[in-house]
Amino acid sequence: MGLRRGIKPMESEHVNVTPLIDVVMCLIIFFLLVGHIAKKAAVKGVHLPNAKNGADLADKSGEVIINVVPRRSDSSGVQHAPKIIVWGQDIGYEQLKAELRKYKASNPNLKLVIRADKSTHFKYIAPVLEDCASAGISSIHFMTKRPNS
Amino acid sequence: MAGRRKVGMQHGMHVGPNMTPMVDVVMVILIFFMLGSSFSSPDWYLTNNTPAIKGGLSNTKTKPMPATRLIIKLEMRGTHTMASLPGLQTEDLSGELYHRLEAKRQVLGKDVQVLIKPSEDVPYQDLITVYSDCVGARYQHVAFYAPA
Repeated sequence: MGLRRGIKPMESEHVNVTPLIDVVMCLIIFFLLVGHIAKKAAVKGVHLPNAKNGADLADKSGEVIINVVPRRSDSSGVQHAPKIIVWGQDIGYEQLKAELRKYKASNPNLKLVIRADKSTHFKYIAPVLEDCASAGISSIHFMTKRPNS
Repeated sequence: MAGRRKVGMQHGMHVGPNMTPMVDVVMVILIFFMLGSSFSSPDWYLTNNTPAIKGGLSNTKTKPMPATRLIIKLEMRGTHTMASLPGLQTEDLSGELYHRLEAKRQVLGKDVQVLIKPSEDVPYQDLITVYSDCVGARYQHVAFYAPA
C-alpha cells in the first residue's frame, strides 16, 4: 500500500540508461588513454625480429621500452647510427646510460625492453647492452615477433 | 510546445531525449577499442639475465658466471651470418644450430655460460635467432660479448 502511494503517474517506465552511459564513457576514455600511452611507448618504423622461443610478458608494470629506430641508409648502403627513443624522446646514445641509471634508481623492479629493428647491426646494439649492464640492470627483455605473425 | 509536454507528462510518457541511438553508437565504439587493444600486442619476449660482457670476462658487473663457457662466434660471409661453435664446423643459421647446441648441452651439463660473440655487422635478427636457439636448447646463462 505504502509503495503504491509512492508511484506517481508521470514517472518514466523506461530503463534508466544514464549509469550505463557513464560507465561506457569511462571505458572509452580508458581505452583511448591506454592506446595513446602504448603509441608513445612503441615508436613506428621498427621491424621486429622473429623468434621461435619467446614468451609473453605477463606483468608489464614498470616497463620501459628502448626503441632502436633505424635511420635511412645512404646511397652507398652504409648504415647510420640509429635513434634511441624512450617515451617518445630521442635521447641518443650519449644520454642513455644516465637515463637508465635514473630509471633504475626510481624503480628497482624496472622491466627494460629493447625494441630494435631486425636489420640493426650489432655495433649499435652492443652499447645499449653495455649501458644496461653498467647501470646495474641485469634483466632485460628483447621484444620480438611470433614466427607467423 | 509547453502544452504538448504537459499532455505527455499527463499520460506518463518519457519526455527526455531519446538515448537509444547514442547508446548504440557508444557500444560500437567500445567494442572497437576492446578488439583493437587485444590485436595490438602480438609481441613476445626473450628474457636475458646477463645483458653484456665487455672485453675481458672478468669485468662484468652482473651476476657471477659459471666456470664452463661455450663461445658462439657469429660472422658475416657475404649476406649470410655464419655461426661457429668450438670443435664444430662453421654453419649458417638455417636450423641445425639448435640441434648442435642441444647436443653440446648434454655433454657440458646445465651450468654453462654461453657467450654469443658477434662481429660488428651481424644484424639483430641473427642475434635473436641464435639467442632464441640457446633458449630453446635450455641454456640458462646466455650473454652477448660486446667489443672492448
